[in-house]
Amino acid sequence: MGKFFRTIFLVDLFQGLWVTFRNQNPKNIYTEQYPAERPKVAERYRGAPRLNINPDNGETLCIACNLCALACPENLIVVGSERNEQTRRKELTTFTYDLSRCMFCGLCEDACPVDALELTQDFELASYTREGWIWDRQMLEEGPKPTPYKC
Amino acid sequence: MPETTFLDSTELVLNMGPQHPSTHGVLRVILKLDGEKVIGTECVIGYLHRGVEKIGENRTYQQFAPYVDRMDYVAAVSNGLGYCLAVEKLLNIEAPPRAQVTRVILTELNRIASHLLWLGTHALDIGAITPVFYCFREREEVLKIFENYCGARLTTHAFRVGGLQYELYDGFEQQVKAFCDMFLPKVDEYEELLTNNRIWVARLKGVGILTGDECKEFGVTGPVLRAAGVKWDLRKAQPYSGYEQYDFDVPTGENGDTYDRYIVRMQEMRQSVRIIRQAVDRIPAGPIGKTPKVIKPATGEVYVSIEAPKGELGYFVVSDNSTQPYRMRVRPPSFVNLQALDRMVRGGLVADVVAIIGTLDIVLGEVDR
Amino acid sequence: MADEQNAEGSAPPPASGGVSEPPKQKDAPKPAAAKPPAHAAPKPPPPMAATAWEGELPNQLKERFGDQLTACSSYLGQNFAVVQPEAVIPVLEFLKLEADFDYLVDITAVDYPNRAERFDLVYILYSFRRNERVRIKTMITDAAQPRSAVPVHTGANWLEREVFDMFGIQFAGHPDMRRILLPEEWQGFPLRKEMSIIQQDNRWVRENLGIESGQ
Repeated sequence: MGKFFRTIFLVDLFQGLWVTFRNQNPKNIYTEQYPAERPKVAERYRGAPRLNINPDNGETLCIACNLCALACPENLIVVGSERNEQTRRKELTTFTYDLSRCMFCGLCEDACPVDALELTQDFELASYTREGWIWDRQMLEEGPKPTPYKC
Repeated sequence: MPETTFLDSTELVLNMGPQHPSTHGVLRVILKLDGEKVIGTECVIGYLHRGVEKIGENRTYQQFAPYVDRMDYVAAVSNGLGYCLAVEKLLNIEAPPRAQVTRVILTELNRIASHLLWLGTHALDIGAITPVFYCFREREEVLKIFENYCGARLTTHAFRVGGLQYELYDGFEQQVKAFCDMFLPKVDEYEELLTNNRIWVARLKGVGILTGDECKEFGVTGPVLRAAGVKWDLRKAQPYSGYEQYDFDVPTGENGDTYDRYIVRMQEMRQSVRIIRQAVDRIPAGPIGKTPKVIKPATGEVYVSIEAPKGELGYFVVSDNSTQPYRMRVRPPSFVNLQALDRMVRGGLVADVVAIIGTLDIVLGEVDR
Repeated sequence: MADEQNAEGSAPPPASGGVSEPPKQKDAPKPAAAKPPAHAAPKPPPPMAATAWEGELPNQLKERFGDQLTACSSYLGQNFAVVQPEAVIPVLEFLKLEADFDYLVDITAVDYPNRAERFDLVYILYSFRRNERVRIKTMITDAAQPRSAVPVHTGANWLEREVFDMFGIQFAGHPDMRRILLPEEWQGFPLRKEMSIIQQDNRWVRENLGIESGQ
């Protein structure tokens, strides 16, 4: 009998429609207006890589130990170094990071003993060319500069 | 010239996919039809084959961990858990309790995310468009927790061999609890939309029946097996990562049709919430484990499997006492489950094929690896 | 136990690498690695420290299959039996019908190119009633055509096709022995050890994709 009434009065239809209408409330809107409204990514977000420099003297923190290159599953990091004869230490000369192959697993930043290499919160990494994804030392130190969106 | 009759019914071969929206990826099914009836199928797979097993042989144990996330990319955390457990078994170590409880929470959240994605897309295939938006909205909350915890939303790389990489962030418990409180009424809401919906019931009841014996014959596991009435869940049968401490039920169906699979998955989401609630309250203090700097297991081989959202996900790892696995075999649940597709659609209508593929919950990244 | 032998057929080190080891990473490889330090020449890795698998089931298997059963071993609490290639299907049948191992979890192979019997063929079985897993292992040569397990477990169909696809092991009596993941015309079997990770069938890529392979 109950089933009959449900069928006659389309109860399940109205039940479903009521759910839909409940969710129409403007305060439930989830859409992010992306370029106009910048999403806030998490603190631990793994995005664009950065080579940190010492803020006091502007020198790189990297000690050219090559651990990141060894840790990388895709072998996309190339660290170039040469030995400074005066201080008897290895010094970083070049650093290449191929972002087109990077899967942002974070193993390189885990491996870094001096927190020089870091995956930052920058997420706008698009490039017009494939070469644009192969970042050199300068690019890694300065970080990406996405074109700001004009409303 | 042969005499043709009106309404001549010859066999028709219909190509479904690989670019078909309801094959959930790049699956190609060649359907042999007699009118509306399916009289045979053949699956063509491999479009997403990336050679994960070969990659595994050429990476160190630590380096391979991010790749497993990319097999079943909607349940990356489960994949990572299975991999870590397999290597830990090979090393004969165990993650510390704090790491284990965290793993359980994240894996169950991932199960919810995976089931939500399944529910949304499956409903979309059947023709109900509303649930997909709601499901993605709630899934977003899970992904936010993942992002806060480990920095990535989808291919998380959350766990490491031997424990965790990241300590829990401040407010993790509150966020997870808030999600649980928010989520349970939402499941009721989906059920309001679908469970008694007559189109939904008409499309799903009695479609694609796979009995328990047939499931065992094909090796089908996961919600498909449980919907057929077999109360088997690896979390109960062979508990790993401390699942024996939690109180939860294994929902089962009766008929093994697509409707039962839907019901089982809805119940599983509720049970996952139940597990998460218990786990959040008992996160012990202590270390989160440390990845060994060099992972070099003794010569040997292990097979370790977990209950992934799709079914039994197993890793068969052979070590030759070096830092790289000698052989890394992944037993993908989707691949094995897809094999039963032919049995389920044969004799049914062509429109049901979509419902059956949807209800198998395959992810082609895992089928092809 | 008489057949306390591992897959490689050499004498195992004393049963110390088994389950009873304290859960510490360093301890597991010790029995073998504690010997002289490694020199420049690559030393063959120490064999698997497997212990004997004892219980009712291995005794039944021994009684039933006798010589065809090479070893019943256990490693880290996981049991496996090594059998002669021709005994695989009878063993699977016996386990299914009389010991309730009704769920074939996986079939896979491992390539050892330097061994006379080149491939390890591994069948992983599970019993719902016993809640127990066993592995059946066999060693086959490159040219061997093991019998297909499809008559026993229907689910073996795709798994065997994948083994064929990746290793080139032909299963005799398989209903549909074709490649499954790779294209039909692909040359070579990628999971064999002689295939390097970046190697691919350049001819196929050129003909079907119209590009020069990047490798």
